Amino acid sequence: MDLRFTEEQEAFRSELRRWLADHLERPWQDEVRRLGRDEDALFEVRRRWQRKLDEAGYLGMGWPPEWGGRGASAVEQAILEEELQRADAPTIPNTLGVGLLGPALIHHGTEAQRRRFIPKMLSCEEVWCQGFSEPGAGSDLASLRTRAEPDGDDFRITGQKVWTTFGPWADWIFVLARTDLQDRYGGITFFLVPLDQPGVEVRGIKQATGESEFGETFFDGALARREHIVGRVGEGWRVAMTLLGYERGASALSYPAQNDRYLDSIVAVLREQGRLERPDVRETLGRLVVENEVMRANGLRTLATLAEGVAPGPESSIEKIFWSEYAQRQADAALDLLGPQGQLSLEAPRAVPHMNWPREYLWSRAGTIYSGSSEIQRNIIAKRVLQLPTKR
Amino acid sequence: MRFQLDEDLALLKSSTRELLEKESPLADTRSLMEDSPEGFSKALHGKLGGLGYLSLLLPPEQGGMGALALVAVLSEMGRVAFPGPFLDAVLAVRALGDAGESRWRDRAAAGEALVVLARRESVGTGEPAEPSARFRNGSVRGTKLFVPFGAQADALLVETREGLALVPRPDAGWNAKAMPTLDHAQRFAEIDLNERAEPIADREGASRVLATVDRLGALGASALLLGLAERALEMAVAYMKERQAFGVPVASFQALQHRAADMLVQVEGARSATLRAAWATDFDPESAAYLSAVAKAWSGPAARRVCGEALQMHGGVGFTWEYDPHIYLKRTKTLEQFYGSTRSQLEAALRARRI
Repeated sequence: MDLRFTEEQEAFRSELRRWLADHLERPWQDEVRRLGRDEDALFEVRRRWQRKLDEAGYLGMGWPPEWGGRGASAVEQAILEEELQRADAPTIPNTLGVGLLGPALIHHGTEAQRRRFIPKMLSCEEVWCQGFSEPGAGSDLASLRTRAEPDGDDFRITGQKVWTTFGPWADWIFVLARTDLQDRYGGITFFLVPLDQPGVEVRGIKQATGESEFGETFFDGALARREHIVGRVGEGWRVAMTLLGYERGASALSYPAQNDRYLDSIVAVLREQGRLERPDVRETLGRLVVENEVMRANGLRTLATLAEGVAPGPESSIEKIFWSEYAQRQADAALDLLGPQGQLSLEAPRAVPHMNWPREYLWSRAGTIYSGSSEIQRNIIAKRVLQLPTKR
Repeated sequence: MRFQLDEDLALLKSSTRELLEKESPLADTRSLMEDSPEGFSKALHGKLGGLGYLSLLLPPEQGGMGALALVAVLSEMGRVAFPGPFLDAVLAVRALGDAGESRWRDRAAAGEALVVLARRESVGTGEPAEPSARFRNGSVRGTKLFVPFGAQADALLVETREGLALVPRPDAGWNAKAMPTLDHAQRFAEIDLNERAEPIADREGASRVLATVDRLGALGASALLLGLAERALEMAVAYMKERQAFGVPVASFQALQHRAADMLVQVEGARSATLRAAWATDFDPESAAYLSAVAKAWSGPAARRVCGEALQMHGGVGFTWEYDPHIYLKRTKTLEQFYGSTRSQLEAALRARRI
């Protein structure tokens, strides 16, 4: 057992901290405050930030050097995400492009696809969104019904996708569409589709938070070129499932880092209010601290598994349940502990400094639904880890 | 980076499992629980001493193997709900060593004598408080409560206002009353002391020795809780697969599947937190106290919930004496209160972070 980081990893962390101190406009939420919650302007903050990360070589670090990577290990990527969270850096617009599509192109794409798409994805010249979920296909993704029908050499796509993150600002979408109506898994193909064309309409979905960073995308005979299929026709499910695996590990330390930052903020307010010594307050805080530290211990375990070259199995469902449900407990507790001040919007004069608790509170409800709901994660644990039988 | 036991410790763990399967099956736990006033096998305790198990927490040159080894062993003992004062004895051996009392340390480490700590004086809280027991003129006077397996001890390591004193069992035996609790396998004693004693640590020395005992006790209890919860989950899963209702195994019901999944989340959190705390104890002492508090504060409630669910998932038979879940439920509830209650560990975790 060895939980130390190597000297190289520690050096990488120090270099990264220096870089963040020099390059991050902190706290960037204050800029959002100045912008009066203009979502387009906020998106430009994110885009600028992604460019800085790209120029410094921090995007796609695990990829081969020819695609802008440095062959970094899972541990270094986890350190990157941890430090970004500690420093409270903005989410980049191409988070799903870099996190999911990039690895998919490197593993399953053609040379021409990689050359065409990867550089502009990294530089944020092109923003990508994900077209997986549909109104009738969420947790049961394979029941998707968006169709792709041959049209000469190419395909025409018809159907509807939802929850396309950053859809309203995106230029391209990676889509799972049905090329065979009978074959549940083997009838799905992975397409790259430009959004700026006749036959595509993108609408923002106004979320419970009041924001619209998710969209829905309507296809009505939209053109998808054969050269933009990733993998072969009918291999889409396999490509999608392997790329969902690339997400794992990177967040092993970043959620605990974010939670620590939030806890520090809560503690600072309580200290100022002189309420930190109340036993009920301390018990609530103690539980949050302990649960978050257990999350970090789980994360270190996942990371060590990855570092040994073993892909984490269904245990990643444990992590998903843990961080998403913790976020709800933490936000609930924060609003209770902070009192009415916790409910003040970011732009309100007396809001908690640099925090947006109303948004966190509402946003925490999304985490237990997206990327496989808590119910799906429990099904996975029950079936694949505990080997409990399916009801016939 | 590596988050699992190295080969030698994995071997220690598997050989401990074999030893316990042979020497201490659950059937023996039952008969000790039901029929034996001692509550444990002195012969087996001696054997464990002979094999070096009681020296685990001593320095390496005295046979110590470190905190990771402790966790490897205790998690196995948790799995079989091992009865007796093993953890208390290991902690006392360490305390005797730290206090420089080598004669009793060696006897206790060899399993020839049972020494346990006598600290608590109040029934009201689970925590050791400022003692009112005194050491004066070569004698200890006071009353100690919840002394684990105290009536069977050959010597007590007593916390007094003046420091730590070693009290060998008087010729006439201890003035002890049994303190039966909800865990029918536990043997706590109330002991009135008015005995000749040897001082082994002054106030300052005692607080140093006891801080180590508290930290390692929390870690050890976490490991026991991990093993108890792990085994209780296995029992529940096995039973759910076998038990039929409405023509199908109850394991196929999603309501139960999701609860079993939650049990796994609790168990794996206990495993991660306990191993990390053990590693810190051996290799990163600055964070050891914090991470041990975290481990105990998580593992206590987690194991209690898992064992409660395991009993529930057995249905009616889960409430019988004949089936095993009650043994696990009782031990976890007791462990949750001792070796630093959940509440006190939450507080310790906050203080370690200067909150």
